[in-house]
Amino acid sequence: MSETVLDVRDIHTTLGGNSIHRGLSLTVARGEVIALIGGSGTGKSVLLREIIGLLKPQAGHIKLFGESVLDSTPAQMNQLRQRFGVLFQDGALFSSLSVEDNVATPLFEHTDLPHPLCRQLARLKLALAGLPADVGIKRPSELSGGMRKRVALARALVLDPELLFLDEPTSGLDPISARAFDTLIRLLADNLGLTVFLVTHDLDTLFSIIDRVIVLADGRVLGSGTVAELKQFDDPWLNDYFSARAREEETLDGN
Amino acid sequence: MTAAAAHFDATQGVLIASGAWRVDAAAALPRLDGHIVRVLDGTAITQLDTNGAWLLLNAVRPQPDDPLPELRGFQPRHLSLLNLVAEHAATTAARIEPPRAGLLETVGRSSYAVARHISGLVRFIGQLTLELGQLIRKPENWRWRELGAQVSTVFVGAIPIVIGMMFLLGVVFAYLLGSQAQQYGAAITAQLGTMKVNEEIDAITTLGLSPLAVLVIPRILALLIALPLLVFIGDIAGVIGGMLVAQAQLDISTYMFVDRMESVLRLKTLMVGILKGPVFAVFIALIACRMGLSVSRDASSVGAHTTSTVVQSLVAIIILNAIFAVMFVRMDI
Repeated sequence: MSETVLDVRDIHTTLGGNSIHRGLSLTVARGEVIALIGGSGTGKSVLLREIIGLLKPQAGHIKLFGESVLDSTPAQMNQLRQRFGVLFQDGALFSSLSVEDNVATPLFEHTDLPHPLCRQLARLKLALAGLPADVGIKRPSELSGGMRKRVALARALVLDPELLFLDEPTSGLDPISARAFDTLIRLLADNLGLTVFLVTHDLDTLFSIIDRVIVLADGRVLGSGTVAELKQFDDPWLNDYFSARAREEETLDGN
Repeated sequence: MTAAAAHFDATQGVLIASGAWRVDAAAALPRLDGHIVRVLDGTAITQLDTNGAWLLLNAVRPQPDDPLPELRGFQPRHLSLLNLVAEHAATTAARIEPPRAGLLETVGRSSYAVARHISGLVRFIGQLTLELGQLIRKPENWRWRELGAQVSTVFVGAIPIVIGMMFLLGVVFAYLLGSQAQQYGAAITAQLGTMKVNEEIDAITTLGLSPLAVLVIPRILALLIALPLLVFIGDIAGVIGGMLVAQAQLDISTYMFVDRMESVLRLKTLMVGILKGPVFAVFIALIACRMGLSVSRDASSVGAHTTSTVVQSLVAIIILNAIFAVMFVRMDI
């Protein structure tokens, strides 16, 4: 369990004159389910985009599976990309393709398998993501927000990645769909041996499925640990963050 | 990491798989030639993911309803993964073919679509007339600023293009102006369609405003004002272009050109062109606005509706030209 899958060292990022990351470092071990939290503007999504190679920080090192993301050639980066899956915030499904072809696209691009076989594997992933069989022939625009997220998850999983990145997986979902999605992520992580790295604002996600939480503040990692450990931290933002939940529970008890 | 391999013992019905079974292992599957696999031996499998598990299962059990063969020697985590995939494999075999429509059905469906399209356009014109009536009763709701902005884009912005094209290409003005108006139509559809995707149209309605009054009517009026003026400017540019060519190539002097033009080109011809302009304008703007507002909530629909606007505008211009031709003959013009 101690193998490091993701290693971020001393990242410095400046965007539009604003210093976002100032010497940020973190590591993720294989099999962990990690949540990245932090106030608005602390650069959570920016960090995610840097890790998956969409943005370059001004300084620092990022290693995925022991290979440097920042020094990779485009060909090497493409090799790396097949080993991780990304779920974008709104799913980012291709609106001109059917749901099934959306999920099968990575297989079309990265394998020599015949297209009918790719579509069969895509349907397996849709079933694993908890979607009914008739969804495959629909268009993304015909689906609800929760279903679109599940399709996007199926697409992120279609190449059986070792590492899964999720950008606010439960944002825009109702509480019931959000909890169901949390459960699904944990179930798949356990069954498929996935490492999961997610950016979230959702306290319920933290309390239900996360092994370890990493907190960003002032361009650095403020701390990391289980939810119980973080509650002991003496930091104004963290106190506010968790007291929001505490108040919620008091209100519930009061009823 | 050893590559995936599989060996089939036909006498015993045993398929022995070994190595890393992932998505690229498909080629390693042996031909079974209709033999039934009784035992799947996974002792030597070093790595297994869902794609690999599905490939193995699909080979030993072509129909998802068939019983699984005996699974022998698998590591516990490989076994649980295999079972997870087997549970969810039901949907993967049954090819959900989209029902293929027959000729009659295709004709029926497209007729229905055309009928719905036309009735939708009629309804749209009705709503617009209603809205226009309300605006006339309450002139303070006119969107003067929007109208001004639209006139400036469609008219002022188009002047250099029209002059340039007409100057170079001489007298083929009706066609060219038609295409200019179509370009504007496509722009309207794309613009309104994008607003629809961004839920801007919903926001306008939610604020208690009418998208027809705020967006559609200023665009139609702007095109109505601009097109006759563009026809006139284009006419002049075309005449000047023709004049220069005549002088340079055919040695016809400017004086002679103007003199002859007076006898050949009567005022009526010019008026017909200018009269057709606003009629084309209204139809193109109507089609463009309606197509823009009926975009559904995805990006590809914006493109499809924009293309459709261009095609419909072209058809409308051809039909209107035909109607004008018949009318002018009847009126003996």
